[in-house]
Amino acid sequence: MANLFVEGKYGDKGIILGNEAIARGALEAGVGYASMYPGTPASEIIITLDKNKKYIKNIYTEFSLNEHISLHGAIGASWSGIRSLCAMKNVGLNVASEPAHFLAYTGVKAGLVLAIGSDPGAPSSSNEQDDRWYSLHTYMPILEPSNIQEAKDFTKKAFEISEQFSFGIILMAPSRLCHNAGILHFGDCLDRDLISGNFKRDPENYLNLFNLAVKNHKKYLERNELLKKYANTSELNIIIDAETGSRNHYRGNNHRIGFISSGVIYAHLIEALNFINADNYKILKLGITFPLSEELIKRFLNDLDEVVIVEEAEGFLEFQIKKIAFEIGYRGKIHGKNIFNAYGELTVDDVIKGAANFLKKPPPEYFDTAVKNLEMISDKIPQRMGTFCVGCPHRGSIYSILKASGYSNTDSKDRDVIIAGDIGCYTLGLLPPYNAMDWLTCMNSGLSIGQAISIADKSKKIIALVGDSTFYHSGIPVLMNAVQNNSNILYIILDNSWTAMTGHQKTPSTKIDIDGISNPNAINLKDLLKSLGISYIKTIDPNNVKRFSVLIKEALKEKGLKVIIAKRECILQEERRNKINKIKNVKLNNKPEIIYELQKERCVKCNECFVELACPAIQLKKEDDNKEFYFIDTIACVKCGVCYEVCPNGAIRKVEFNLHSLINSEPQVNLLNNKENKTELKIIT
Amino acid sequence: MQQFNIAITGLGGQGIITAGTILKNAALNSDLQDVSGSERRGGAQREGYVEAFVKYIFYDSVSEMQNQRKNMHSPMIASGDADVLISLEPIETLRAISYVNKNSVIIFNTNPHVPISVRMGKSKYPELDDILNSLYNITDKVFYYDFNKLSIENFGSIISVNVISLGVVFAKTNIPISKNVIENILLKGSKAQDNLRAFNIGLNL
Repeated sequence: MANLFVEGKYGDKGIILGNEAIARGALEAGVGYASMYPGTPASEIIITLDKNKKYIKNIYTEFSLNEHISLHGAIGASWSGIRSLCAMKNVGLNVASEPAHFLAYTGVKAGLVLAIGSDPGAPSSSNEQDDRWYSLHTYMPILEPSNIQEAKDFTKKAFEISEQFSFGIILMAPSRLCHNAGILHFGDCLDRDLISGNFKRDPENYLNLFNLAVKNHKKYLERNELLKKYANTSELNIIIDAETGSRNHYRGNNHRIGFISSGVIYAHLIEALNFINADNYKILKLGITFPLSEELIKRFLNDLDEVVIVEEAEGFLEFQIKKIAFEIGYRGKIHGKNIFNAYGELTVDDVIKGAANFLKKPPPEYFDTAVKNLEMISDKIPQRMGTFCVGCPHRGSIYSILKASGYSNTDSKDRDVIIAGDIGCYTLGLLPPYNAMDWLTCMNSGLSIGQAISIADKSKKIIALVGDSTFYHSGIPVLMNAVQNNSNILYIILDNSWTAMTGHQKTPSTKIDIDGISNPNAINLKDLLKSLGISYIKTIDPNNVKRFSVLIKEALKEKGLKVIIAKRECILQEERRNKINKIKNVKLNNKPEIIYELQKERCVKCNECFVELACPAIQLKKEDDNKEFYFIDTIACVKCGVCYEVCPNGAIRKVEFNLHSLINSEPQVNLLNNKENKTELKIIT
Repeated sequence: MQQFNIAITGLGGQGIITAGTILKNAALNSDLQDVSGSERRGGAQREGYVEAFVKYIFYDSVSEMQNQRKNMHSPMIASGDADVLISLEPIETLRAISYVNKNSVIIFNTNPHVPISVRMGKSKYPELDDILNSLYNITDKVFYYDFNKLSIENFGSIISVNVISLGVVFAKTNIPISKNVIENILLKGSKAQDNLRAFNIGLNL
């Protein structure tokens, strides 16, 4: 069971995540090369293959430095006759758009599938872009699975289509599918012994210049026409006919209505129609959403008076279908974005409401009641937004930066120090209580935009933040640009050794992996910076907040380019490694442990730790007399000691106790709250 | 076709996704059964809001299971369409209130985790009585316990809050799954004995 993902065969079923189903589809298709730059919601696609690679014959997995490299890698493998899978999040295609635009010119040899995790509602992205629009100029065909089973089956099919028509195929999965978990019925895998690379020269296709490029342009337009013919009859596109007698369901006399949808939104649509007891309309389910077959659309529209296109974002299907409708002289009405929003996630509720309004078939009463129930109390529910983990080194960094610039706990619009955000865990510093960042757009926009502002507005001081993974992604050219132009800017590299937010993939400078194995090829960040000719380079432990803020103040006084490396490993990784060692240590030498305690009698609730630092391990409790006090949740606390350092009143103290006695006896909280036990604790500060 | 929908909500680190996965594995035994449901994973490990949906589908026949108008299901639970809401944090129960209807069962953890907005004084954390009033306005099947306390007392950490809450589901709702199936799943997993004990603590609440 544990390794059903690898060993599963036809007839097996298991609970699997949408992303894992995509990976499994690739595995069944005999994928030999899998690469990505990690990005939510797509990350598990390659993570799953990577963590199982020791059980899979002839597979290479790579967490590339960026999407541009990653897609190029997949192309190289394809040209060598190896089926390749590249995955990325929606905005990744912006970075990989160059290889994506050449892929149709060169074509593929072995199948190439590009799995894209889109993120409507942007729960983990900085925009909601619908990557399907790219295909109007990249000509990459798009498959859209609707559920977990299709995620696997379509991926497998995509490799075949890719080889048949010599296109890289996009498999589009929104976060609702990437992170949908449920039953998958497995298929058999191709014989992995047959996987072997052999690059053959193909100058006609691979060389693109002058008239060679024009010739290949013509060729792929022709292949696109062939693909439309395929789409016309493919089982991936389904017309569900209205059942006999279904005219009763039509509005008015002989007024025929149909729906067109794809992907997860199609699943919402089927559920919505069942929900409002309107399950008898003609439906076109598009599994291939680019290119669309004119024949197929014609066949579907022909006997309909009105059609509703149900889709997310700006209306990619509507755009294409209206063009086809115009060409075939369709006289009926086509609805789409006049009913459904072009922004935000299209939820099952939205589809129910849209379909109910359009068909004038109200949803059951409990639906409306439930919506109202939430509306009635929603202003009573405190907002909750993500923040840094307990012990996260970014908390120390953001706190120090705010202290040094004098902006803690304010979202004032008038600031002399500009703080440029960037993509990564530290992005959370833009949220309250920190409100630390002045912009957040795409990868490495912090230093890039910051450089220009340092020229355009000389009255401001500028701090640009970047994480190590984002820096290696595309930050080095930006930094070289800053060196070349001697930009007056403080660049702080928040080096936590990992691409943490997506589940801790290694960065080029990750020295020791989670098992304690060191990487001899790890890049020394400081040496790299020195080699670029940067003279002002300082390294600091971000948890040393007092020294860090002094360092920032000093650096801001200097002219030119300054770089500070805030170096401390992601606490989650450190804790994972320590957990194993701690158990070992306790067993071996019975070593005492240090914990931090907030003494409520000394605490004046100045809020330095509770609001300014805002560590989630410091919590609020009510006493019996209804008085509130702060305390450190010793179970959540990872003993980083930053609160101890920032407390101006000495209310937080270090306490030493014997961990060994705890392991087999009472939990920590009880021990601390129990007065009789206090004598066992040795107060050391 | 019968459907049974469970919404699980709470914070990153509380084992919401794991609880959902345990419930989903219970649907593998029957051929006429399907299960799916999306997860919101973004806030995992970062204090954020996490949710998992478990949608059990029971088909009446093979032909119904093959009917394209019936065999496709949204990964989300529509408003009012949850049979059970499990919430591992009090105000997250309120946030998920739109999933339930007057027949739903609500099971929630009374242990609060104060969000940043409350710390900053921008909003007030509601009293337990107010939360209960809002819930009882909708359904009288509300069960609440301090799962954190129960987990700490029995296991020394909050690690078992999710499995204890699953036990309560099997004690207080008409979930169409046998508790033995869950016990077998727990037995095959890691920390089997602890998890079985946690499940039984919930069952006996």
